[in-house]
Amino acid sequence: MPSSNPLPPKENALFKRILKSYEQKQYKNGLKFAKQILSNPKFSEHGETLAMKGLTLNCLGRKEEAYEYVRRGLRNDLKSHVCWHVYGLLQRSDKKYDEAIKCYRNALKWDKDNIQILRDLSLLQIQMRDLEGYRDTRYQLLMLRPAQRVSWIGYAMSFHLLGDYKNALNILNTFLDQQQKGSNFDYEHSELLLYQNMVIQESGDFQQALTHLKVYNDQIVDKLTYKELLGDLCLKLKQFDKAEKVYKELMKRNPENTLYYIKLIEAKRLTETDEIIMFYLDLVEKYPKAMPPKRLPLNYAQGDQFRNLVDKYLRRGLTKGVPPLFVDLRSLYVDPLKVEIIEKLLLQYVDCLQSYGKYSDTETNNGPKEPASTLLWTYYYLAQHYDHLSKAEEALKYIDLAINHTPTLIELFVAKGRIFKHAGDPLEACKWLDEAQALDTADRYINSKCAKYMLRANKIKEAEEICSKFTREGVSAMENLNEMQCMWFQTECALAYQRLGKYGESLKKCHEIDRHFTEIIEDQFDFHTYCMRKMTLRSYMGLLRLEDVLRGHPFYFKAARCAIEVYLHLFDKPLKDENAEQDIDIENLAPSELKKLRNKQRKARRKAEQEIAQAAQAQVKKDQYHKSKQQGDVEADTPQLDELIPEKLAKVSDPLEQAIKFLQPLQSLAKNRIETHLMAFEIYYRKEKVLLMLQSLKRGYSVSENNPKLHSCLIQFSDFLKRVRDSLDETVKEVLEKETETLLRKKNSTELNSEYLSKQGDSIEATLECCKVLYQLNPNNQECALKLVTSLDNKFKDVNIQTCANVLKALKSGALGDCDSLIEDFKLRCHKLFPYCTDFRPAAAAASLNLSNSCDANNHAKSTSATELQNSNSN
Amino acid sequence: MNIRCAKPDDLMNMQHCNLLCLPENYQMKYYFYHGLSWPQLSYVAEDEKGNIVGYVLAKMEEDNEDLKHGHITSLAVKRSYRRLGILNILPLNLYKNALKFETVEIEPKYYADGEDAYSMRRDLSEFAKKIKKRDGKKDDKPEE
Repeated sequence: MPSSNPLPPKENALFKRILKSYEQKQYKNGLKFAKQILSNPKFSEHGETLAMKGLTLNCLGRKEEAYEYVRRGLRNDLKSHVCWHVYGLLQRSDKKYDEAIKCYRNALKWDKDNIQILRDLSLLQIQMRDLEGYRDTRYQLLMLRPAQRVSWIGYAMSFHLLGDYKNALNILNTFLDQQQKGSNFDYEHSELLLYQNMVIQESGDFQQALTHLKVYNDQIVDKLTYKELLGDLCLKLKQFDKAEKVYKELMKRNPENTLYYIKLIEAKRLTETDEIIMFYLDLVEKYPKAMPPKRLPLNYAQGDQFRNLVDKYLRRGLTKGVPPLFVDLRSLYVDPLKVEIIEKLLLQYVDCLQSYGKYSDTETNNGPKEPASTLLWTYYYLAQHYDHLSKAEEALKYIDLAINHTPTLIELFVAKGRIFKHAGDPLEACKWLDEAQALDTADRYINSKCAKYMLRANKIKEAEEICSKFTREGVSAMENLNEMQCMWFQTECALAYQRLGKYGESLKKCHEIDRHFTEIIEDQFDFHTYCMRKMTLRSYMGLLRLEDVLRGHPFYFKAARCAIEVYLHLFDKPLKDENAEQDIDIENLAPSELKKLRNKQRKARRKAEQEIAQAAQAQVKKDQYHKSKQQGDVEADTPQLDELIPEKLAKVSDPLEQAIKFLQPLQSLAKNRIETHLMAFEIYYRKEKVLLMLQSLKRGYSVSENNPKLHSCLIQFSDFLKRVRDSLDETVKEVLEKETETLLRKKNSTELNSEYLSKQGDSIEATLECCKVLYQLNPNNQECALKLVTSLDNKFKDVNIQTCANVLKALKSGALGDCDSLIEDFKLRCHKLFPYCTDFRPAAAAASLNLSNSCDANNHAKSTSATELQNSNSN
Repeated sequence: MNIRCAKPDDLMNMQHCNLLCLPENYQMKYYFYHGLSWPQLSYVAEDEKGNIVGYVLAKMEEDNEDLKHGHITSLAVKRSYRRLGILNILPLNLYKNALKFETVEIEPKYYADGEDAYSMRRDLSEFAKKIKKRDGKKDDKPEE
């Protein structure tokens, strides 16, 4: 234990004062005492003092010197646990947890029972999920401090985390047995019992869990959780009468919790639709203010019964003026019969309300008229209804009627904007949201929606400006929103930049989001100690499990997908130095325009350079500010991350490696999404990693076997194999031979393509992919391919704005060869189908001229069929 | 719509809802702090797809043993789910009339947009007494 280089009493006293100063965060004093020791030539190389000086410097933000002193200290005293511990703490403050663990282990070599080091080690182990290491450390801590509650809890939890329920429960039981001599049954004790019950349940022994719960009933103060667990266990053990009683009590406590209704139905063993509807209707009387008894039967009822119930529900909502009535009913729209019933009722309401102020003409003579607002809410509902069904024309008709009726209601402007968004006109959509926002500048929700619509319209500056109305003054909105981890905004920015071809800016946003996730994972660090003290162990387990799958959150998926797409693009078309970020359509420009563009670019570049210089200056100032402010709490001290500079990000040297970093979390946490495997394929195809390509395809087929993009990947794979087969290693070839049997079924690309098309020919998305392949296989197929993919007749089940836009994009990109003459024509026909969509809008005034021609083309295209295609293939 | 006690997995979505609706925002760690210190106190409202459309984030002030009380840190409902009608019931009225809160203090111009802040309270000791009385009678009868 003692240092290999002990200090005499006077210096030793000074050293203790350094430690104390460190604990009390009086770093200046610490340095003073260190100086007093080190200035004595006899102790100028005293290891532990040097190390402590380094640690203290670290707290003052002087990182480089800190490492220098700590390392020097260590070199002078390699057998000192203090030096190793300090080195570990330093690494930990830089989040280099693996390194820190090694240091702590070295420290323990020289002082194996040091409680503080063991505790620090255990924290890193749980943070890094080294569960076995954690268990061993917790064991040592328990042996050294058996009187402490946390010693027992920590050791038990380590087994729980390893799935060793038996040992976890043994330890908890032993601990609780000692405890229960006294009778201080408080909140913490109650939480511990509930945790114990959680472990029993996870071990699968529900009977034991139920017994446990009942035995400790009067010691559990969280009665809600107690009852929820009790009800659930009774159901699992088929004690239905008991379960029924419990869920009735729970429902009385909170009749807005829909789970209680579902569980009560289970307990009453109601299976017939009629019984279930009756069950809900009975509860309407019992809980007249609660929503679920009125709303949930609509999920079950059909036909006339549905009509009666929904009629009542709609009338109540419309008369009361409930704005979210449509969003409340939206989930019923999966059933087309229900949609039809709702639509008929609403059209009837509009008719009768306009004529007599009543919902139906059978009641013209009785009772008072509906308030004027009823008609307004009916218009509003219908607008959303038709919008949901992608009928923009009707939706706009009703939203305009509503706005004429009441021109001040913000919701109407929001709805109108949404209709335009869905109809493919993001600019017009944005205009209406801006209008809404101006009517209530104090509501951040409207403000946020407005900003989102601006971003969808690629108006990034405007969006930031709108957001700045609600962000802290003195900081840019971008910066404040980043600090607040406002991921929806950052994702939308990333996507807007991507659309604008500003790839560096887009990547910056994606990396910012990725850093939020890293930070949120770091956040758990302090809770390892905290929760064990607070005894909120169930929630703590919830936190650990959440953190394990954190990047499974949709926010991460969106950001990662954007980043991967951008990196793939940058791999295919690396930016050239001179005109860094610009632009997509240069090939299509006339020489004079190109010259103008170049001038503009030059100016922009100069401006950008100035801005960078300014930003760099600001950064220096900021750093100085941080340094001066440094209070130096080691734990709170986050390491300085590299600044994200768009220009640098866009000039990435290893785009595929960067893409893989974003991909990997998706492969484990979003493996149910086909896009994960499509992206994986695209990356590995470019890296020519044949086995990883195969893996991505296999995973893709297990998720969604008919996906059109996946079909494309398969063809690419098949062609790739054909090209490289001879150069492959024998064992790899063998694996491929075996593994591709089910995928390729010994067919060549042409055969696979025809087969897929004949199976999926009713999908325009699938047809598009097939046609691209067709053209790539043989350019002579172009005419046939173009005919197939541009015929928007009824044989396709999935003609919508998105799929048509994809076709248009493919035509423009040259993926189907040169076809300029066809593009305008195709656009026109899309325009006829989707008149509001800006992508399909014909150049200015020429709008309505060629409509008749386009219909002819349509007829032409109809004559091409899958069989014809097969013929053309075999030629 | 479903109203239930919040779980740790809800906290990120509560932060999202907060950022959409309110000017006062917090980093994730502060949500963790609430959820892990007082797991019973915070509630969420979710739609049928499980999206969080509203929440109340709450904590205990327990420093003073005698004056222990709950504290609502933040409460929001997405506007698209607010059932205001055209009347626009003010939150103030909601607290005063429906929830029986009393105003203890008004801090003028507290918010960035110049609005006043209201410190409001409701004494819950009556509830505690009632529960004690009921439990004192010692029964395990259902509360129907």
